[in-house]
Amino acid sequence: MLKVENITKYYGPLKAVDNLSFTVNEGDIFGLLGVNGAGKTTTFRVIMGLLDDYLGTVTLDGEKIDYSVTDKIGFLTEERSLLTKLTVMEQAEYYGVLKGMTKEAVEKELDKWLKRFEIEEYKYRKIKELSKGNQQKVQFITAIINNPRLLILDEPFTGLDPLNVEMFKGVIKEFEKKGAIIIFSSHRMEHVELFCEKIVVLVEGRSVLEGRIKDIKRNFRKKNIFIKGNVEKEKLKAIEGVLSVVKKSDEYEVKITDEKYLDKVFKYVTKCNEVTKFIVEEPSLNEIFVAKVGEQYGE
Amino acid sequence: MGNKLKYLIGVSLNKKIKTKWFAIVNIILVIVIIGLINIDSVINFFGGNFGGETKITVVDNTEQSFDIFAETLQTDSVFDDFDTSKIEVIKSDKTEEEEIDAIKDNKRIVIILNKDEEEVLTSKIIVESNIETILQQKIIAAINTTKSSLAMIETNIKIEDLMKINAPASIERIYLDETKTEASENMRLVMSVVFPIVILPFFMLIIILVQMLGAEINEEKTTRGMEIIISNVSPRTHFLSKIIASNIFVFLQGGILLFSGMIGLLIRRTTNKSGSLLPEGIDLNAIWEQLIESGFAEKMLYIIPLVILLLFLSFLAYSLLAGILASMTTSMEDYQQLQTPIIFISLAGYYLSMMAPLFEGSIFIRFISYIPFLSALLSPALLLIGQIGIIDITISVTTLLLLIYLMSTYGLKIYKVGILNYSTSKLWTKMYKAIKE
Repeated sequence: MLKVENITKYYGPLKAVDNLSFTVNEGDIFGLLGVNGAGKTTTFRVIMGLLDDYLGTVTLDGEKIDYSVTDKIGFLTEERSLLTKLTVMEQAEYYGVLKGMTKEAVEKELDKWLKRFEIEEYKYRKIKELSKGNQQKVQFITAIINNPRLLILDEPFTGLDPLNVEMFKGVIKEFEKKGAIIIFSSHRMEHVELFCEKIVVLVEGRSVLEGRIKDIKRNFRKKNIFIKGNVEKEKLKAIEGVLSVVKKSDEYEVKITDEKYLDKVFKYVTKCNEVTKFIVEEPSLNEIFVAKVGEQYGE
Repeated sequence: MGNKLKYLIGVSLNKKIKTKWFAIVNIILVIVIIGLINIDSVINFFGGNFGGETKITVVDNTEQSFDIFAETLQTDSVFDDFDTSKIEVIKSDKTEEEEIDAIKDNKRIVIILNKDEEEVLTSKIIVESNIETILQQKIIAAINTTKSSLAMIETNIKIEDLMKINAPASIERIYLDETKTEASENMRLVMSVVFPIVILPFFMLIIILVQMLGAEINEEKTTRGMEIIISNVSPRTHFLSKIIASNIFVFLQGGILLFSGMIGLLIRRTTNKSGSLLPEGIDLNAIWEQLIESGFAEKMLYIIPLVILLLFLSFLAYSLLAGILASMTTSMEDYQQLQTPIIFISLAGYYLSMMAPLFEGSIFIRFISYIPFLSALLSPALLLIGQIGIIDITISVTTLLLLIYLMSTYGLKIYKVGILNYSTSKLWTKMYKAIKE
């Protein structure tokens, strides 16, 4: 289990992370979300043991994260972390051996993953000669080559086409099944929604939203209602609590500010003719994210 | 962690050595160094007459000058180091015109000696092209001596008296300062010629060390590769690996330069009779014998280890400084700016060491030789020419050790913060804060 307890980190007068706490169990994928500069990278750096002048504690399976533990961690950075003058083999060996693997074990694992990602022919090619997508594959392979117990993925799908995104997703799911502890960061909320059971949303280093996605959605008071029928847009808009009404194809999407206004909309719709659809849906994670982060910035 | 350090050193070294460019550059270097040491043979091989055998044909119209001229030319002591075995002097029985025609077919020098009522002897030196300056001077000296001899013969001076007149004056050197000897004077003469040649590779190696170390650290830093590396090995291990690898590389490169020089000298010895690289007029063997007699060679027993220690520590200090500065920069361009002062300091040390023989007794220069970075090149120069002693060089080593300790202690703190810093904003404040922590 990864346990992050009350971490606070300052860069000069700037509080980059403010009393952040969360736990990630084995076999869980945890989403660390936030806009650029929210404190995600600093949190990753603290977890990786790259920073030591912070308050709070970080433990992996009860042990403080230091150089005796980091061999069990895989880290995929958002920016390229490859040394482009090296060949794929040299790069994998470099990072693999630094994670305590033997050269033979690195090569065996590398061959397996290159085959899996269908780039076997690039084993002895220099990284700078590879496409952006293939470089991302190599970077991902170097993060998982040590079969990590804790896998930190910062924007793993950058530069990938939809087919390769699916390939990555498959591998991440395999690690989840194997019981790895996975922390995932992405600006693409559909990916987070698909992968993560628990999330934390950071704004200026503070957690503004955390918990299970299901609970977050359930507790989020704004709802979306999809109505198909002979209803009038202006009358819908006039109902108390209705935030917006948008016509999409042959149906209306009505957003309400609180669940308590659902009855009022429903009462109006029952008076209308030819109503064939009245579905109440929880908002998407993207909507919740925008709403929560927007609140913090006073939007 | 020890294995990781060893691995990092290996990776760093392999990146520098196991490249085709390292092989190509060093093959070129070996060829160039051997070629430069044997430049006269190289020029000769491609058809020049540099240092080759010279035939001098003398048309003696005086009927009594040839023997005097030939003997003087072969034995004249003014140019001791001139290899007279390369000169063949032949008496011609042809006329001046016939010899001029023959020159076009055979590259040689024709000397015409004519009797003259007023000037005793007049002469012509006829050549197809230019001739060596030393040889020209030697021929002129021989003609002048021949003229004097002829004049003295004409005035009935005895041969014995003539030899006394021509013999060099006997000079006894007396030094009132007991610490000064002819050997130390000779050493200064040798050092003024040899030292700039010997010290140049060290200067070059310092430049290579500084640039290479900075480039390697920057390469890892400009990608986020540094985060992956530092999450698996401590900054101390990483720093140490770069310092050790770059120093091993520099010593290896220095070894290759030294080896090339030795091969070049060996080839010179076997292909060239004179073998000496020193200017004409300096007899290295005689100077060496004087140095042995004066006990200077015994001093070398402690001078050489001290100089090697000083150079080793200086390389270490330069690499520490380069590593610290590289960690602070965020791009190769920034590092190139920051390394400029190091290059200038090293350059100052190089020029001061070259001019060291000019600064005898200067307290300022003695003080400068204690300063780390400058001491690397200056102290050995001053020590070898006897301007500083073992105490001075011990001070230089001590100050260098102190600096290395400070850079290792505080520099590592900067390195730790610097390598994960990607912003140039408030850089010096961050580094100052890192030192304080």
